[in-house]
Amino acid sequence: MRRPLRPRTAGAYALLGVTAVLIAFPLLLALSYSFMGASEIATFPPPLFPKAPNLDNYAAVLASIPIGRYLLNSFIVSTAVVIGQLLTASFAAYAFAFLVFRGRNLLFFVFLSTLMIPWEATIIPNYMTIRSLGWLDSYQGLAVPFMATAFGTFLLRQAFLQIPRELWDSARIDGASSLRFLRTMVIPLARPALGTVAIYGFLSTYNQYFWPLLITNQTLMRTTQVGIAQLRDEETLRWGLIMAGVIMVAVPTLALLVLGQRQLIRGLTAGAVKG
Amino acid sequence: MEGTMRKFAAFALALSVVAACGGGGTGGGGGTTDESAQAPGKDVKPAAKIVWWHAMSGVNGDALNKIVDGFNKSQSNTKVEAVFQGTYDDLLAKLNTALASNAAPALVQVYDIGQRYMYDSGQVVPMQAFIDRDKFDTADFEPAVINYYKYQDKLQSMPFNASSAILYFNKDAFKEVGLDPTKPPQTFTEVADAAKKLTKKDASGQTVRFGFGPSIYGWLFEQLLATSASPYADNGNGRDNRATKVVYNNAQGKAILDWWKAGLDGGYFYNPGIDNNGAANAFDAGKSAMYIESTARLRGHINTAKFEVGTGLYPRPDAKPKDGGNIIGGASLYIMKSRPVDEQQAAWEFVKYAMTPAVQAQWQADTGYYPIRKSAYNEGPSKDWSTKYPQFLTAINEIRDSPQNRFTNGAVLGVMPQARARTQKMIESVLLGKETSQAALDSAVTEMNTQIDSYNKANKP
Repeated sequence: MRRPLRPRTAGAYALLGVTAVLIAFPLLLALSYSFMGASEIATFPPPLFPKAPNLDNYAAVLASIPIGRYLLNSFIVSTAVVIGQLLTASFAAYAFAFLVFRGRNLLFFVFLSTLMIPWEATIIPNYMTIRSLGWLDSYQGLAVPFMATAFGTFLLRQAFLQIPRELWDSARIDGASSLRFLRTMVIPLARPALGTVAIYGFLSTYNQYFWPLLITNQTLMRTTQVGIAQLRDEETLRWGLIMAGVIMVAVPTLALLVLGQRQLIRGLTAGAVKG
Repeated sequence: MEGTMRKFAAFALALSVVAACGGGGTGGGGGTTDESAQAPGKDVKPAAKIVWWHAMSGVNGDALNKIVDGFNKSQSNTKVEAVFQGTYDDLLAKLNTALASNAAPALVQVYDIGQRYMYDSGQVVPMQAFIDRDKFDTADFEPAVINYYKYQDKLQSMPFNASSAILYFNKDAFKEVGLDPTKPPQTFTEVADAAKKLTKKDASGQTVRFGFGPSIYGWLFEQLLATSASPYADNGNGRDNRATKVVYNNAQGKAILDWWKAGLDGGYFYNPGIDNNGAANAFDAGKSAMYIESTARLRGHINTAKFEVGTGLYPRPDAKPKDGGNIIGGASLYIMKSRPVDEQQAAWEFVKYAMTPAVQAQWQADTGYYPIRKSAYNEGPSKDWSTKYPQFLTAINEIRDSPQNRFTNGAVLGVMPQARARTQKMIESVLLGKETSQAALDSAVTEMNTQIDSYNKANKP
């Protein structure tokens, strides 16, 4: 027998439901528009649901840009960036959290202060470096400049500091090297934080527009956001077409997020019972 | 748009240094000198491959690729590779970065208001050099279009896609309220009177249709100044010499703002904000019965709107000043100096191909831009297009009937993108009642003049 919902729980669900719809509204509207023709979108007041849903916009996206290749490129680059960030950030954070060396705090603050440098200020030097390395139009050019992250290092350092110092002491006494301690103790314990860094890194790389546009000139090396821009008409915006493109680009990341969330929750609760 | 403007402004500033180092302008002198010395020799063999950066996406992008394919098939010397580089602003930002490290292509498409900036970069081979060298005949070219891209009467770049601004109106709504759909309003007062009649309220007093709904778009203001026969900047709108001041805080500028504001206050104008697409959508949806926009949107409206779309002359003051007229907009092609001479040569070959009447007619039919050459109108695709969209004739007649002078040639400023953004802010503050029209004009002009000063200092010839 199911118990009836208590009023408080029901209220909470209602509130959550409303908030969920509000937050998802732009995405849902994009989904709805992607099934509408241009004149339907233009009617006033704007319709919420398509009268005669059709896939014309999707067909038009497939016909006008190589979206499959763009998705593949974005995935390769974003995955590479995530792996790179996890490696560099966890090593750096480990040093800042566990190792004692002279000037550690100063170095950490220098690290943090790079967060304050606007991205626009570094783009030209970055471009010149990539160009002189001959990495224009290449995956390494798209990925390498983003493989180190001050924000991620900061986040992981804070997570690592939560790990009891005693654990480190006993590991050292048992003769574990730093690398082994990091691999067998720190990483498993800090999994939620690593997950956060990974998802953040993935999404911010996936959503990049200007850098990929800047350093690629071949269609085959371009990424999804450049593709979306290609769908835009300078003079008449075809919303249906653009929304179809947006949905096609957003769905894979959403799927990834849903899968990743499982991991995150498992990470959060693993070992919670034993304490 | 705002965002990209700001991004572009940041780049322009960062790179004005690069531009300043890049060397002093291209041939400053008077109006009669022959420029051919700046072009590569006539016997230089065109390069086997050149790259062309452009900002045409969607339908226009497809049309552009068609031209490139046509050129590549028409001859075997040169292969042109067209690369899409985002919006006009994105493209210019990327070009700046590339110039700094010598990675620019041979040919680039830059928007109308990037003209002075390209000139000051010192990185361009003026189109006039090739024209003088080959005695290339431009008599057949649309004067309004070609004049726009001249500085001191030398053509710096080749116009490629051209449009102008017209009045769009809802013929069905005109008939409904007893206005003559064959006689659209022409002057400020006529537009306001028609707008009053076209405005419709429902039982609860809510306005369901406004008479006139222009977007707050700097380009439209520039056009209104031109039909008012007012300069935007000094020194012949920056065409006789480098502009040092914006001068639109005059009686004409004030009259435009007062007319606009009165319409809003009266409840018969609609304000979509700084939002060109919003204004277009409102027109398509029947929410505003008239508005002003680029001719390039014509086909979109005819295909989307569920009513008969009419076109008319761009609004002008009641006195209809005879020196007033419309400015063209769009983008042009620049041949870059940083590439080897054989690539410059190949780029010129391509430009000549793109300017042939047949290609121009096809380009018009595929995009809705004007052909640059008059003889293109005799070609099949252009004739078919004019039959299908007779409203387009308004546009071309408007630009042909405009007198050619410094007002209608349009302003050239190094900081034109920023000036346009500032103008929009100025219009908005008047329409929202934050400032009176004269005060808003004055403060915008003061601010822009400071920007012009620092730009001019950084780009001393």
